Amino acid sequence: MSSGTLTGIWDTVWGLLVEDGSLAVGIVAALAVTWLAAALLADPQRDQVGWLLLAILVVLVVLNARAAGHSARRAVAKG
Amino acid sequence: MNLGALAVAALPAFIASAVEFVEATTIILAVGVTRGWRAPLYGTVAATITLAIIIATLGVTIVTVVPEHALKAFVGALLLLFGLRWLRKAILRFAGIVALHDEERVYLKEVADLRARGETRTGFDRIGFIVAYKAVLLEGTEVAFIVIAFGAGGAAALNAAVVGAIAAGLFVIALGAALRQPLTMVPENWMKFGVGAILSAFGVFWFAEGLGAEWPGDALSILAILAIFLGASWLSVKMLQGIVPGGAEVVAKNV
Repeated sequence: MSSGTLTGIWDTVWGLLVEDGSLAVGIVAALAVTWLAAALLADPQRDQVGWLLLAILVVLVVLNARAAGHSARRAVAKG
Repeated sequence: MNLGALAVAALPAFIASAVEFVEATTIILAVGVTRGWRAPLYGTVAATITLAIIIATLGVTIVTVVPEHALKAFVGALLLLFGLRWLRKAILRFAGIVALHDEERVYLKEVADLRARGETRTGFDRIGFIVAYKAVLLEGTEVAFIVIAFGAGGAAALNAAVVGAIAAGLFVIALGAALRQPLTMVPENWMKFGVGAILSAFGVFWFAEGLGAEWPGDALSILAILAIFLGASWLSVKMLQGIVPGGAEVVAKNV
């Protein structure tokens, strides 16, 4: 397999996962916080880390969409 | 697992994979109609082989080497990176900020691009091969993610997901071959919205399981997670319609 093909495959996979850099960074940060919480909490409380992750991600998606909306509004205003 | 149970288990992967196969079929149709069928068919076969090698080597290595909990966390993380990206795009599309995906438009643009590159009368059509190869590889990688998402629950779930994906591929290819035109009747935008939310829900579920957390009701909690993602997405669409009134369609890649 040539290096060009491998580069193409890598670009494809990377593009699949990271389209919007800030969203990808936010997701990684959310995963890190959740992992940390799971490492620090004892057993009954550890079961709540899933809901913590969900809450962080929901906020992240809404904020990311809001930022995209404001960016689009500025683009419309510029014409 | 009997045939009926297998069909039910395979249905989510079938629906999700069908969206990807529709997109690949549109590109291959455009190449075939414009430049002949030999090169795109070779490109499709080559991409399928590449995908099989990647899945066989990486997949088997990961599954056999990585411990079960770490594997679930890894799969969950990948699904979240993939699914939330899809969900974000769907939200922007439904808010009118990004143009809705239109197979007819994609097809016509691809045909125009390919015609602009000139026809190949003699020899092997390298352009047709590469365009088909890249399209199938890209969409095929997404199908691989979908299979992983629905199959991470164990051998039976993986079998069902693989069956669903293969059935979707065969169905869409047969439909494309019969109609010889883009499959515009498939409600892709709605399906992508749903699939983005489903992949994200599975991602949250598997990542938390990988960290040792237990969900109330086990896999049934995926439905609750899914409902929360869909609710948040709907709210986001409404919020964006307020920020950019009238659904002003902005073709801006930086949003």
